Amino acid sequence: MRIVKLHKSNLMSFLEEISQESELWAPVKKYEDKHIFKNIEDFDQIDLDYTRTILPPKKLLFPPSFRMYEATPKKFHADFSHISKKTLFGVHPCDIHGLLIMEQFFKQSYEDPYFSEARKNLTIIGHSCWPDEHCLCRSTQTHIVEEGYDLFFTDLDKNYLVWIGSSHGDDLIQLKPDIFDEDVTEKDIQQFMRWREERDKAFQSEIQFEAMPDLMELKLGDSVWEELGEACLACGSCTSVCPTCNCYNVRDNPVLGKEASDITRCWDACTLENYSAVAGGENFREKKSDRLKLWYTHKLQAFISKYGKPACVGCGRCVATCPVDINIKTVAQSLQGEKVDAFWRRLNQEVTQ
Amino acid sequence: MKKDKVKIGIYELTGCAGDALLILDCEKELIDIFSAADIQSFAMAKSDNIDGPLDIALVEGSVTTEREIEEIKDIRQRAKIVVAIGLCATVGGIQGRYKPHSVWEADYKSVYGETEMTHTKPIQSQPIDAYIEVDYYLPGCPIGKDQFLNFFTRMLGGNPPEKYPQPVCVSCKHNENDCLLTKGEFCLGPLTADGCGAICINHNLPCVGCWGPIEGANYTSEYHLLKEKGFDPEFIKKKLANFSGTKIGKLIESIEKERP
Repeated sequence: MRIVKLHKSNLMSFLEEISQESELWAPVKKYEDKHIFKNIEDFDQIDLDYTRTILPPKKLLFPPSFRMYEATPKKFHADFSHISKKTLFGVHPCDIHGLLIMEQFFKQSYEDPYFSEARKNLTIIGHSCWPDEHCLCRSTQTHIVEEGYDLFFTDLDKNYLVWIGSSHGDDLIQLKPDIFDEDVTEKDIQQFMRWREERDKAFQSEIQFEAMPDLMELKLGDSVWEELGEACLACGSCTSVCPTCNCYNVRDNPVLGKEASDITRCWDACTLENYSAVAGGENFREKKSDRLKLWYTHKLQAFISKYGKPACVGCGRCVATCPVDINIKTVAQSLQGEKVDAFWRRLNQEVTQ
Repeated sequence: MKKDKVKIGIYELTGCAGDALLILDCEKELIDIFSAADIQSFAMAKSDNIDGPLDIALVEGSVTTEREIEEIKDIRQRAKIVVAIGLCATVGGIQGRYKPHSVWEADYKSVYGETEMTHTKPIQSQPIDAYIEVDYYLPGCPIGKDQFLNFFTRMLGGNPPEKYPQPVCVSCKHNENDCLLTKGEFCLGPLTADGCGAICINHNLPCVGCWGPIEGANYTSEYHLLKEKGFDPEFIKKKLANFSGTKIGKLIESIEKERP
């Protein structure tokens, strides 16, 4: 690990250099208050003044839908054509943690060739950020990153402090070595420490994640699950936007006029009704409350037991996305016995009045 | 021995004929469709139609006259598999919009007065499963090309079609649209069957529910959410009923019971 300095005026020329080598992806404003990661054609589109994108970076490694292979009666042809060399610039620490969790999952017992190939082709350049009212990454300890990136840019007014996190990151610096300053001064260090302190003070939300495995166990039979189930629209949005949700379905699409089938892989969501349906017409989790319980057990209990940390990186996407306010914040607050201001709570009060 | 081609009939009852048109619009695949199957009847595409035994009947449109009741019963009797295609056949369509029979009678009278119908007697519009047993449903307004081709090819291979029980929100999120419901707009995405790829929301227009309701849709929560966002209860019920056909009658009644 090495830290260098880059004057902000040199950022664009550095990105231009990178875009000669690979597709450049970066945050772009799609709506007044919402950003997405997009393949950059025009450098002016890049907008680093963002908190979170609608979909997390998992979409670059594992697109919502892609063709895995073509199957014929005798053989199959793997299809990696959706994978290309990409550089993702402007990733926040929570999302880098999300990608690390994804990687852990897709490589744990049987390495997933599609994920691994896409990961091999992805360069990650992180960027510092400032929390809004939904950010929970200090509670999940994912506001700091130590691995999982090639370069990481911390925004300090006129300069960036640039962490070099891999040998590939160092190669990137060597593309334009003249613009990077090896001399990080005491003044820079002090400025960084001040920035860190202020950033840490800026968090407005907090959850005690350490208590969650026990609370989940103690409250598995709690009426709150029914209450959540009553309000859940089962739209699957929380799952789509979650940086650590990795479930998928594999679909068989026979090709008309050919003895062949396109096998596609697409995101699935345990919050959708069909997820737990099995042959014979049975469904293990027909009830929305059971599906939500599964989602939260996985994030707040099972993952912690196995890996020592929650499968939540505190990005706040579920908080910003769920139309009925079912999210990590309100569910955790409710499990902790706190007062909850959420549509799902108001709905149940109204219907049972 | 070469297998006989699957005998297929494509029929249109009351509707806009959009589903039959979509099948014809599969221009790139049309030759494959006609070579892979023995299309016995397809009034929009050809004139030499035969009303004989069928392996699969694809029926679009709702049942709106007494003659159509006979027609759909005849189709059922001739076909091994009957598939309802499109919104009108699956849930009733706009003409099969939920309303109590007495209201329908009054509406009918106010439009047609005492005019006597000579051709066939009109009845309150219903989806085809109000009269016959339906094996599979392919929703849409009109049906989607990809879903249709997937369905058609699977059926030709003797495989059951794959169901797509997911709401519009799934495609909507995958397309990274801003959630209109969260923004306070009247969007029926969470209640509506996907297959359109969230085409309206992709263009910043809310979902009106034209593919019909998805199984297990949470009407009560959506109704109260829209009410909390300031929409008038009567307006919400009317909009919910627009494309949901006759089958949501009970749901609307239950919402009314809950909140008088």
